[in-house]
Amino acid sequence: MPRYLVERSFPDGLEIPTTSEGLKACLGVVDGNTGEQVTWIRSFVTDDHQKTFCIYDGPTPEAIRRAADVSEMPVDAISEISVLDPYFYVGGQS
Amino acid sequence: MLLERDDLLATLGNLLECARSGDGSLVLLAGEAGSGKTSVTRELANSVGDTAVVLWGACDPLSTPRPLSPLHDFAADPDSGLSGLLDEHVEAVETFGTVLARLKGTLRPVLMVVEDLHWADEGTLDFVRFVGRRVADTNALAVCTYRDDEVGPDHPLKLVLGQLGPMETTHRLDVRPLSVAAVAVLAGERAVDAEALHRLTDGNAFYVTEVIAAEESLPGTVQEAVLARVGRLGDGPRRVVEAVSIAPRSLEISHVGLLTGALVEDIDETAGSGVLAAEGRFLSFRHELARAAVEESIPMARRLDLHRRMLSLLEDADSPDRARLAHHAMRADAADLVVDHAPLAAQEASKRGAHKEAISFYESVLSHPELVGDDRVAEFRLALATEFGIVDRQGEALRQATLAVDHYRAGNRTDRLAAALVQVAGPQWSLGDAPSCRATIDEAVELLTRLGPSRDLAHALYTSSHFYMLARQGQFALEVVKRSAAMAEEFGANDIGWSARLIIGCIEIITGAPLRGLAVLNEIKEEAERGDDPHRVAKTLGMLGSGGGEARLYDDAISALDEGIVQGLAADEDYAVAYNRSWLARIAFEQGRWNQAVEYAELVDRTSSTGVGIANVTARGALGRVRVRRGDPGGRELIEDTLQLGVSYELQHVWAPLCGLAEHEWLSGRAQRIPVLLSEDYGRALDTDSQWARGELGFWMWRAGAIDGPPDNAARPFALQMAGEWRAAAEAWREIGCPYEVALALADGDETACLEALPTFDSLGARPAASLVRARLRDVGVKNIPKGPTKQTLANPAGLTSRQLEVLGLMASGMSNAEIADELFLAKKTVEHHVSAIFSKLSVTTRAKAIVAAHELGTTQK
Repeated sequence: MPRYLVERSFPDGLEIPTTSEGLKACLGVVDGNTGEQVTWIRSFVTDDHQKTFCIYDGPTPEAIRRAADVSEMPVDAISEISVLDPYFYVGGQS
Repeated sequence: MLLERDDLLATLGNLLECARSGDGSLVLLAGEAGSGKTSVTRELANSVGDTAVVLWGACDPLSTPRPLSPLHDFAADPDSGLSGLLDEHVEAVETFGTVLARLKGTLRPVLMVVEDLHWADEGTLDFVRFVGRRVADTNALAVCTYRDDEVGPDHPLKLVLGQLGPMETTHRLDVRPLSVAAVAVLAGERAVDAEALHRLTDGNAFYVTEVIAAEESLPGTVQEAVLARVGRLGDGPRRVVEAVSIAPRSLEISHVGLLTGALVEDIDETAGSGVLAAEGRFLSFRHELARAAVEESIPMARRLDLHRRMLSLLEDADSPDRARLAHHAMRADAADLVVDHAPLAAQEASKRGAHKEAISFYESVLSHPELVGDDRVAEFRLALATEFGIVDRQGEALRQATLAVDHYRAGNRTDRLAAALVQVAGPQWSLGDAPSCRATIDEAVELLTRLGPSRDLAHALYTSSHFYMLARQGQFALEVVKRSAAMAEEFGANDIGWSARLIIGCIEIITGAPLRGLAVLNEIKEEAERGDDPHRVAKTLGMLGSGGGEARLYDDAISALDEGIVQGLAADEDYAVAYNRSWLARIAFEQGRWNQAVEYAELVDRTSSTGVGIANVTARGALGRVRVRRGDPGGRELIEDTLQLGVSYELQHVWAPLCGLAEHEWLSGRAQRIPVLLSEDYGRALDTDSQWARGELGFWMWRAGAIDGPPDNAARPFALQMAGEWRAAAEAWREIGCPYEVALALADGDETACLEALPTFDSLGARPAASLVRARLRDVGVKNIPKGPTKQTLANPAGLTSRQLEVLGLMASGMSNAEIADELFLAKKTVEHHVSAIFSKLSVTTRAKAIVAAHELGTTQK
């Protein structure tokens, strides 16, 4: 399944409290994704909480958008990505 | 009573009870030959007594199956209420509908049994698929039995099992082999080692009972067991058994005497011995395995003689059964009789929609060319080519039609040669050889023109105009089709005249008189409706939808496409449904309804079974273009992969996806690559008179700087934009209803116009185009450029999103989650999520309260 980087903007700042409320919010997103066979891997959040960069597995960009629609999350841009590891080439220079 | 079948019978009984209360279902009952499928269904039928209606039908092991055999059985049963089912001139779909109506709304549930589906003809498989897809709303339990060990990967039943299997109303059940304990019970007092017998027979119920009845020390095969039992009969009864064995399913008792000279006592003895069963006017074997074993054992000369006698008996019947006649003729090795009967059997099969059977009959005739004569061979080849075309075996259709052409070329029959050429052209086009196709049809027209006006010429002209229309050579096609229409009228050929007008309407829509074309098509659609001709209605709807779609006459196109889908679903015309949906995807893309475009496109890919046909190209083209305009990944790749799969597509199928590739390059800042991508097809477009192909391809060539202004006869909004009239172009796009194109035209204008374009791009989610406009505004020093899309403000008091509003509206109309999922093309799980979000936003806990709250908010009027 392809992997995607999804960029999102939260002009008012994204606040997820480290409480049971926060847990519920996150699990709600996870649950909302299953109908579209989309898996949320992890996200990176800017310090001002206005932007997130989220890694997702999913069948198509359209499925990523529908999952976002279910969870009522904004989507700025979707890019298909693969992993580049800094030490990937180290062994190959012999 | 049956051993070890209680659980199975209880399950079937429960399903029948569910059917009584309106939850119908279909059971696929599998088991090897002799496992006892028929015994189970008979036991079920006996146990329901008068509490249910029983419809019983079976498929035959004829070398070429009789079309719709189980439906013939239904019709022959006076208690079925279906006696007129197969009257002449009734379309297969209507027949299916009649049976379906019988399965609905009765006080007693209906148990419908279709036996031996592995022998079914195509028509019967269509019937089972038809019922299987609609059984939910009936009071019926449909039980279809088949031998699962005979259904290999290429068996036609496999596809039906695959289509029906995943449905909630389909259940697969097995008739399992008997256990050692059950075998011991059957053996009873007999001196048989139950374990050894179980090993020998693998617990096959029929085999076990035959061995026990044979009263011999374990015979090596089931055939030996059967023959041992028959061997104990006297001479007279044995001849009866042999005679019955040559009939594929059962034999009229009245025929038995005539075939063998057997006495009534002989017949009674066979029935009494348990070898044969008498039912009504018929004698039959208890099992097909036994019949085959006996038939094999009859010495060759006697077997041929029996088949010949059978033939003469059947020939004397009032309404001869062609399939049965052809079967015995083939078995009797009577080539002359095959040649007599098989052509008629083929025509009958074709009329019933059993095209594969028709092919098999024609092939059996053609294996005796010496008896048929060269001219008739050629005629049969043309008929066979038609059948091959219908079942989409275009290569074989081309081969047969070409052989016929070769025959007529050698002779003097110009009219027949021309008719054969017309038949060659169709498969040539389907196989992607459009140039040869047009050469072939040109020759046919030329030959017939020499002979003067005729009905054949009218038909050839119509066919020719159709191919030139598909190539978008509209003006030429129009001249040809007008000659065809006039000639058709002269010869009273109404069908050709009707088809010709269809082509005229279509050409006018595409080449510049769209409103006149629409009027023509709507008029002939109404005619077809009045004439109650569903094929013509469907054909016209397809033309209105695709032609109207290409000319961007969206309202007319969408209503025709929607109507076509409803009709196609009702008639199981999967191809028409996919084709219409693909056009809805393309239109939704052009109208800026991108979510819907995605939904339609995905649906086409999910449901079409024919691989990458024209519908898939259109649907994937639309999906790819949505990705390009959104800036999502995978758009270019999707379009490139799709176009690569079919190098021979006509221009009309490829120009829109190609323009998507061009737009991708432009949005990525690589407009210089566009001319290489488009120049060949732009050239093709200039050879046609398709205004929209010229317009859109021309537009992207112009954008890349490859041309300075609009080509002649380009669609108006594109032509305006290429002429630098961006304001007028934007206005024209607004009238047509294409918001993205409005913004694209404005973006060619001054600062104010660009600022006007931005919110449109932003609200569509057209990120790449919006970025280009922002960059241009920054370059010219504009301050205060609005930032990207602001968070959508929610227009209704409860803070529902637009999707949630849509779901709530459907809830209020009484739909279940599953129905809403179907309506909106969403996963059921996704709908459940929306519903629970709606509950929490409205602070309610039940559906009913949500609907009440929706009414209070006034949101359901939307």
